[in-house]
Amino acid sequence: MRKILSLVAAATLLLPTACGDGAASGGGDPDRKSIRIAYQAFPSGDLIVKNQGLLEKALPDYQITWTKFDSGASINTAFVAGSVDIAAIGSSPVARGLSAPLNIPYQVAFVLDVAGDNEALVARKGSGVTDVSGLRGKKVATPFASTAHYSLLAALDRAGVKESDVTIVDLEPQDIQAAWTRGDLDAAYSWLPSLDELRKTGTVLVTSRELATAGKPTLDLGVVATDFVTAHPAAVDAWRKAQSQALNLIHNDPAAAAKSVGVELNLSPEEAQRQLSQGVFLKPADLASPAWLGTSAAKGQLADNLVSAAQFLKTQQKIDAVPDLATVQAAIYAEGLPDVLG
Amino acid sequence: MTTTVPAPPAADTSIGAPAATPAAATPHGGRRRRVLLRLLALVVLYALWEIAARATRNPTFIPSPGAVWHQLIQTSTTHDGIRGYSGRLLIEHLGVSLRRILIGSVIGVAGGVLLGVVMGTVSWIRVVVEPVVTFIRALPPLAYFSLFIIWFGIDETPKLWLLSIAALPPVAVATAAAVHSAPTGLVEAAQALGASRARVIRDVVLPNALPEIFTGIRIAVGVAYSSVVAAETINGVPGIGGMIRDAQRYSQTDVVVLGLFAIGLSGLLIDALLRTAESRLIPWRGQL
Repeated sequence: MRKILSLVAAATLLLPTACGDGAASGGGDPDRKSIRIAYQAFPSGDLIVKNQGLLEKALPDYQITWTKFDSGASINTAFVAGSVDIAAIGSSPVARGLSAPLNIPYQVAFVLDVAGDNEALVARKGSGVTDVSGLRGKKVATPFASTAHYSLLAALDRAGVKESDVTIVDLEPQDIQAAWTRGDLDAAYSWLPSLDELRKTGTVLVTSRELATAGKPTLDLGVVATDFVTAHPAAVDAWRKAQSQALNLIHNDPAAAAKSVGVELNLSPEEAQRQLSQGVFLKPADLASPAWLGTSAAKGQLADNLVSAAQFLKTQQKIDAVPDLATVQAAIYAEGLPDVLG
Repeated sequence: MTTTVPAPPAADTSIGAPAATPAAATPHGGRRRRVLLRLLALVVLYALWEIAARATRNPTFIPSPGAVWHQLIQTSTTHDGIRGYSGRLLIEHLGVSLRRILIGSVIGVAGGVLLGVVMGTVSWIRVVVEPVVTFIRALPPLAYFSLFIIWFGIDETPKLWLLSIAALPPVAVATAAAVHSAPTGLVEAAQALGASRARVIRDVVLPNALPEIFTGIRIAVGVAYSSVVAAETINGVPGIGGMIRDAQRYSQTDVVVLGLFAIGLSGLLIDALLRTAESRLIPWRGQL
């Protein structure tokens, strides 16, 4: 018995040290030629890069592993644990990651897409809601901590509806669909593919495209761990080049782009093309414009957008403090833009 | 806790209900030592926690005890015009979950005892139902929860269904086993005295099976307790499981740890209550 007890004690003592080692192993070693990429299953150029092996072709001597994640929150956790180098992640989780207490050392290096008609607030026919201000006293579902959640509250704010006047329910897209069919919900802010089903039996009240023009855009970003940027700047350049190749493909050959995306998402090419057409994809040259990343000399408005997303999270009590603009600007990696995308 | 029931030999007249967890009777001198040992273990655990938190220096990995304490205060009070966590105090989150556990357990236990008695007395039903009960028992609640959402919506109903179904099998299996192994001598004696089948069950079989049933109930409440987080993955706020899940998504590890403590401690308390009830209701347990 005594022996077992001392063994248990030893194991407990060792445990924290083991975790510490796990956290310390980041991508900061210049000799370690590997890239760990976190991706998500939303239609974007990132899936084209993965499907066509663009990065593997550009960096043949790197060992590249792709891991699928379900949410930005879990990707943030993976960054904290030092288990990923590059990720595709929504602007809302990035704002959270750049704020206290997380303060994740990563850099925003790419805008994968801007939410357009692929994210929208839909009211169920039969709920009697025809505009956003009609949502008072109604039940609205959205996946919490997502870009859609941010957009929903932005839309309510724009229509002068107080958050407390609406019952907001936390549901994942597939559950929204189930509850919607049963008539449990009056409205929902969701994204493709569940959004398609909602639109069949509902009225679109507002889309993320409209909110973007009204100054509340939500985006999907490419982020890179800071120590990886320092250790492997050339690999980051190759990654950005691969991403802009993918953006070009979406613009110039939508059918080929849709085929790759379709394979990754288990969709038919036609369906993938339809979904891609609802998002907003920038031209690589636009990335360096003041509206987005900007240049290393003058960081773009993306920083302001992230600060405003952080302010929103602060009002939601989800972060301790809003980072100042300079901190966020420092977390935008625009080195060599726009020529490096060439 | 798999309960397979060996058919008792016909001549066996002893009461064949072995106590699963006999409360160890400790002499008085050992009691103080036990309390001291537990206190010491708590202090050591606390120290290890504090050291681990300081060594990693990453509140998302291991939040310090101080941070968790701070969250306890924050979530239990109204501060800066914000009430608790997601508009509810910690105790309210816990209360909502406990209510769900209570209702779910009561339905599950009632159903389990009923099913168990039927299974224990009517052998063909037992043959048919036993694999089904074992099948349900093996299913992780999260796996069938999405079905409940489609059938019962997103409010209380699917959560109560989930907890009831999670709580039912342990009670059913324990009851069936105990009823089946009712002492043949006593049953035959009662029948010889002219008791009907229902009276035999009520007056002989059930009292005799009570200790086993109680073990089943304690397991059932434990299962319901551990399923509440699964039940609250969908529209779970208010609720302690919903709170943990929400905090997890925003990487608020200190709130997650606080929620775990709330669940663990209230679980201990409820198990202690059940044990007290057990020793009151079945004073003969462990003495036969």
